Amino acid sequence: MAAGPVATTLDLPDVQGLVARGYGNLNAARFVLLGLEDAAAARRWLGEIAGTVTAGDERPESQALNLAFTSSGLKRLGLAPEIVQQFSNEFVGGMTTEHRSRILGDLGDDAPERWDWGGPASAPVDAALLLYARDDSELERLAEAQLRVLAAGGLRIVRELGTSDLDGFEPFGFRDGISQPLLEGLSKVGPPQYTLRTGEFVLGYPNEYGRYTDRPTVEASSDRQSLLPRDPTGSGRADLGLNGTYLVFRQLRQDVRGFWRFLDAATRRADGSSDPAARIRLAAKTVGRWPGGAPLALAPERDDPALAEANDFGYFHEDRDGARCPIGSHIRRANPRDSLDPQPGSDQSLALNRRHRILRRGREYGRSLTPEEAVAEQTGTGEDERGLHFICLNANIARQFEFVQHTWVNSPKFAGLYDDADPLVAPSQPFGATFTVQSESVRQRVTDLPRFVSVKGGAYFFLPGIAALRYLASL
Amino acid sequence: MPQQSSLTIVADVRPGETESLGEILATMGDGVANGSVVDLSSLSEMHFARFFLLEETTDLSGRPLPAALLYMSDFDVPKDRHLTELAGSPGIDRLFGHCEGYPAAGPTADQRLAYLRAHTVKEQARYVNTIGRGSRQIRREAELRDAIEGFLDRQLNEWAGRDPREIREAVRRFVAEEPSLAWARTPEDRPSLWWRLREGAHLVALPLLLLLLSPLLLLGAPFYAFLLRRHEKADPAPHLKPDEATVTGLARLEDHVVQNPFTAIGLVKPGLFRKLTIRGILYAIAYATRHVFNNGNLAGVKTIHFARWVILNEGRRVIFASNYDGSLESYMDDFIDKIAWGLNVVFSNGFGYPRTRWLVLDGARDELAFKDYLRRHQVPTRVWYSAYQRLTASNVANNERIRRGLYGDMGGEEARRWLQAL
Repeated sequence: MAAGPVATTLDLPDVQGLVARGYGNLNAARFVLLGLEDAAAARRWLGEIAGTVTAGDERPESQALNLAFTSSGLKRLGLAPEIVQQFSNEFVGGMTTEHRSRILGDLGDDAPERWDWGGPASAPVDAALLLYARDDSELERLAEAQLRVLAAGGLRIVRELGTSDLDGFEPFGFRDGISQPLLEGLSKVGPPQYTLRTGEFVLGYPNEYGRYTDRPTVEASSDRQSLLPRDPTGSGRADLGLNGTYLVFRQLRQDVRGFWRFLDAATRRADGSSDPAARIRLAAKTVGRWPGGAPLALAPERDDPALAEANDFGYFHEDRDGARCPIGSHIRRANPRDSLDPQPGSDQSLALNRRHRILRRGREYGRSLTPEEAVAEQTGTGEDERGLHFICLNANIARQFEFVQHTWVNSPKFAGLYDDADPLVAPSQPFGATFTVQSESVRQRVTDLPRFVSVKGGAYFFLPGIAALRYLASL
Repeated sequence: MPQQSSLTIVADVRPGETESLGEILATMGDGVANGSVVDLSSLSEMHFARFFLLEETTDLSGRPLPAALLYMSDFDVPKDRHLTELAGSPGIDRLFGHCEGYPAAGPTADQRLAYLRAHTVKEQARYVNTIGRGSRQIRREAELRDAIEGFLDRQLNEWAGRDPREIREAVRRFVAEEPSLAWARTPEDRPSLWWRLREGAHLVALPLLLLLLSPLLLLGAPFYAFLLRRHEKADPAPHLKPDEATVTGLARLEDHVVQNPFTAIGLVKPGLFRKLTIRGILYAIAYATRHVFNNGNLAGVKTIHFARWVILNEGRRVIFASNYDGSLESYMDDFIDKIAWGLNVVFSNGFGYPRTRWLVLDGARDELAFKDYLRRHQVPTRVWYSAYQRLTASNVANNERIRRGLYGDMGGEEARRWLQAL
């Protein structure tokens, strides 16, 4: 196997568009989860749709469509079990094994048995059709055209997940999606310390170790129509994984009322009245950014519109002890930047951090709610649900998504802490419900944090390259 | 100052009894020991312990290697006392009763003790996170930290704007006046002079010996290097992926508390060269962990509490067993990112390990080949006991730092830094 740096040219026409962009200009989106009932019909459908799947070299202005499969979906399509076994064990085993539930924190009320989709109690999910459009009416047209042909394609709709456009903010009210890793081979460029090797997010390219991540290949002779590219490492085999990646999908319900009410109660004045400024301040401490996006590491005292998109900062030199941005805050643990052992503040620390990044492609759902509305007495009936359809891409689920989730976000022991899981998004666990707000003097501790985010569904998908989609259709 | 000791017991399982023994072990816990059969928490001054089973297999020349039951523990009392306490547990009969040579029908505690003692094997190397930090100290300092944190919380309104030295004084007064923390009024005992002299002598003995032998070593080095490269180029290094069911089975026992056990066994590559190399390397590791990596940091990895390497079956197999914080994925990443060279020098003598160069290069740096190799050689740690399941090595070290900060005078900046540990 070849090692070391190899010049990378990402094959944009063969990767699905979602790898290259989040379709920020296409404000409307719907995710359709599918079950596969008739393999032959589904392969015909796939053969038809493969030509319309949006590729990485397109810049769609009105519609986009991407398609991903779970391991059960690949098996049902007719991919031989010994080929499926070549995918990563995380993908083959799926998101709901006992151990995975433990490390992802999917326990108790969040256990897969209780999920709306993706768990053992609900219909199997074999594929996800990701639809994006310029606006709602365009989305309606796209969905109508796509959904009409599903039944003839041997596919059943398991669930349709709608999204809403909250204008760049997530439901708790914070600007989201600011920090994204940059990827070699894409047009957007930035500082080298934040630019990752292509192989971290696309299979078949060298990763941050200068290696190729395991991926499925098939005998060249079994690729009768020569649809697949050849393995770039020179094995002579046809590469089913090349230009594909893994897509992690989790539906996360956000208890926005619970979040703001808890913060409101924790920051009341001595006379018992609400203190909106203190409420926002503590909220910003849990997130690590102000609602407007300015990072606490750079803007410790107040929100600063000029820093709304600021992303070029570290923690070790600016804020080693967390007096500005608490050690346990959400963004500091989801992306610790330069604060990792054994040499925080060094290039080595940044290099370690680069091995645990994910490319976020999620979309919000539900109606937005301001902190004031969240705290106020509830009016009207029919409480709606809101949250995030968390979607991320990565080439190695264990080293990227699962590592971030378990070792950093959910861990009460992150960075030397004791009982502090992520104050914003961590699940309830036996311990870890403390949030320590460091200061120059004695820290403050917020204890007995309730759970603000719960899991409603999820699955690991494979987002194949476009040639691989055609190959799967030809099985 | 207590001295952490360790024990390794190996007993061959009688043919055909592996399955029934496995069934008993499975009742003793699901990842973490539940106290049934043998209550490891009743043993004095424990850190960690485990029982596990090695399945029957063959060596590289096809000779059979019988199934074996192993017990490993880390504790602070003398070895004999630990063995005696262990032998006092009748549950031992239910486990070792499946092993070759175990006295039939209801042995006395003395007979049990004799059997366990006779089956104790030597460890070739050990790693102790911090030499001299006993289990009792670890548990007490965790209580001390909890008490101080509670004190700071109760008086939170008083600290704003106060000088760090004043706050430290208030904490010291609180500790001095709290009867349950009377032990914390004085620092932990320093190691005895005799102990320090002995360690000092050992520290210089090996370099002296090497210096004396240096002419021979210099002569032999090119020859060794030649042999090494020849072996490294010829040794097979297939990248085999463990199947999903195997990994799921192993992972089922992991991540129940903040620490995990890791146990792996591998066959040493054939030939005298590798047999001698692994002996030499483990000797060097034993020296390094005793004198260099003895204070919370194994060459950049700070998450390991205890580890050991044991040679079995006349040098044909080596076991590695450790107790570490976090998930196996993060542990393996630490190995690759921080001490790939250290893993390579040992494991590259194991059959099937990813190809190395000059003993230290490459090897573990082939991330997935290395992770797959470890998973394929991992043994399920059927019964595992930890005396402080909620403390990471980082917590333990910080608790000690908090306690040390109670003694002596501090300047303003020093006191401010100390407060950051709380």
